[in-house]
Amino acid sequence: MSTSTTSGRTSGDRLRAEAVRLAYDDRTIIDGLTLSVPDGKVTVIVGPNACGKSTLLRALARLLRPSTGHVILDGEQIHRLPTKEVARRLGLLPQTPIAPEGILVVDLVARGRTPHQKLFQQWSEADERAVRSALEATSSMELADRAVDELSGGQRQRVWIALTLAQETDLLLLDEPTTFLDIAHQIDVLDLVEQLNREQGRTVVLVLHDLNLACRYADHIVAMRDGEIVAEGAPVDVITADIVRDVFGLDCVVIDDPVSHTPLVVPIGNRHATASRGV
Amino acid sequence: MTVVADPPRTLPPETRSRTAPERLPIRGRAIRTRWFSVRLDPRAIAVCAVLAIVIVVVGCWSISVGDFPIPMTDVVATLFGHPTADSEFIVGTLRLPRVLVAVGVGAAFGMSGAIFQALVRNPLGSPDIIGFNAGAALGAVVMIVYIGGSSTQIAMGAVAGGFVAAVLVYLLAWKHGVKAYRLVLVGIGAGFAIEALIDFLITRARITDVQRAAVWLTGSLNGRSWEHVRVVWPALLVLGPLAIVMQRSLDRLELGDDMAAALGLRVSRSKLALVCVGVALAALGVAAAGPIAFVAFVAGPIARRLVRSPGACIVPAAFVGALVVVIADLAARRIMAPTELPVGIMTAVIGAPYLLWLLTRQARTGAL
Repeated sequence: MSTSTTSGRTSGDRLRAEAVRLAYDDRTIIDGLTLSVPDGKVTVIVGPNACGKSTLLRALARLLRPSTGHVILDGEQIHRLPTKEVARRLGLLPQTPIAPEGILVVDLVARGRTPHQKLFQQWSEADERAVRSALEATSSMELADRAVDELSGGQRQRVWIALTLAQETDLLLLDEPTTFLDIAHQIDVLDLVEQLNREQGRTVVLVLHDLNLACRYADHIVAMRDGEIVAEGAPVDVITADIVRDVFGLDCVVIDDPVSHTPLVVPIGNRHATASRGV
Repeated sequence: MTVVADPPRTLPPETRSRTAPERLPIRGRAIRTRWFSVRLDPRAIAVCAVLAIVIVVVGCWSISVGDFPIPMTDVVATLFGHPTADSEFIVGTLRLPRVLVAVGVGAAFGMSGAIFQALVRNPLGSPDIIGFNAGAALGAVVMIVYIGGSSTQIAMGAVAGGFVAAVLVYLLAWKHGVKAYRLVLVGIGAGFAIEALIDFLITRARITDVQRAAVWLTGSLNGRSWEHVRVVWPALLVLGPLAIVMQRSLDRLELGDDMAAALGLRVSRSKLALVCVGVALAALGVAAAGPIAFVAFVAGPIARRLVRSPGACIVPAAFVGALVVVIADLAARRIMAPTELPVGIMTAVIGAPYLLWLLTRQARTGAL
């Protein structure tokens, strides 16, 4: 495998979408999209609202069946694999999961063990170990006996991530895990994601709205518009003023992030439009 | 420069257990053998045990009182197979089957309510509120009025009617998927329409059938015999374990469809299975005792509160439902004795205020 950060297209990747057409009822969202998720990397999907990011993620997680094309997991069509088998290899955190009223953190995280359980094997020692290490990895052990309702937004998001970790999958898909969080908690969650990737070697796919955070945390970035991939590759190659204008219809200046030395998008906006023309 | 001494190391409450506890603070206790592991909730078991005892006590009391009182000791002796001359007929033929039907019907309604309230994620989603019981009643009335109606025929009519109503409500509520509040509102409307249809059928029926149907429609355990026990209990012994097995998928579905699917659940199939068992249980209850109002509706929330569990408590709801019906039937028999009220009136006395309270609360919080 090549060492370049744009090696996402190698056909050996575990999770791929091949020429998929994705539609709800008769409304087509994505038509003929091909994507390979680079193994062991953090991939971030960005794009304007309603461009099909979440739809793509749902298809990658087998929640939406492509009307044409295939999603391939470990060389097999994902829809030919049993749901439970998929759930042992690939975890998804949807945008708006629902915490039952009054549920305790530990009980919620324990639900992540579902794909490993059977009718007569409902709470093995392996289940207990996995829940414990998921709580530890997300530093939420001290929350274990609290009700999910009473947690802050950031804590709650960590707990949901703990649930998907308890699933013990190498592949992790997170749909907008930082929405509704303040900036400190956004960084908190993304640091956690990075740690999971670097320390445990998990492949992570995220949908994010903040381009600058996307550039910081992504090894591989996928920019989408109207159900199509406009550009993908390393952040420094993908996030340019031209592509941001093309994808988001936003004029901006891209500078070097003084901390991470990744691209930093500085939007222009009406107020400063004339002033910056000369730059 | 002043050096400040370390403040005393009292940890704020959130961090008191920062070192991992020896045991996960998870509900219940793990029981494991090589091929088997399960987590049992001691509180749920205790609640069920206490409810079971109370059901037995109230049941015996219910058998003992009446126009012809039987002393408790004789009741117990009869139940253990040592009847006295009087008690054999009154206990064995008249009152015991009635109590057994009450327990079975209550358990069926309780489980059905717990299933639907969890599926719809709203306590208003119980089958007696959203028209499924009315559908089952219509099926049964059609049987009584047009076919004649042995208890098996009534049961089959009720099950068919319940399923037709469920399909109808579901299709009417469908609009790019089914939202809970739309299902509840459509269901309430469908319930009224079905009741109107029942009234229409009754005005056109023979007077003898009308009388039978009218008593049965308020929900009544008058004159329930072993014939009814033989319909209710075998069905319950099949449907009950099915419902218990499905508790797991119900718990996962409560996290939202996508999360459930991501955890490896076949969402549509699980929902369909749950709806089928839930409708069958409700229809079973209706078939045996009429559409007794509000039992399914109150059993689930009471069970959740007793067990203090966030999930649907199918088994505890069965016990609560059974207890509610047994108590309501005892009250219905004794309050205006010797006149027997239909048991449905008693359950409505408890259920209706709760419904009103819930409606105003949900209207205020915008859940409906």
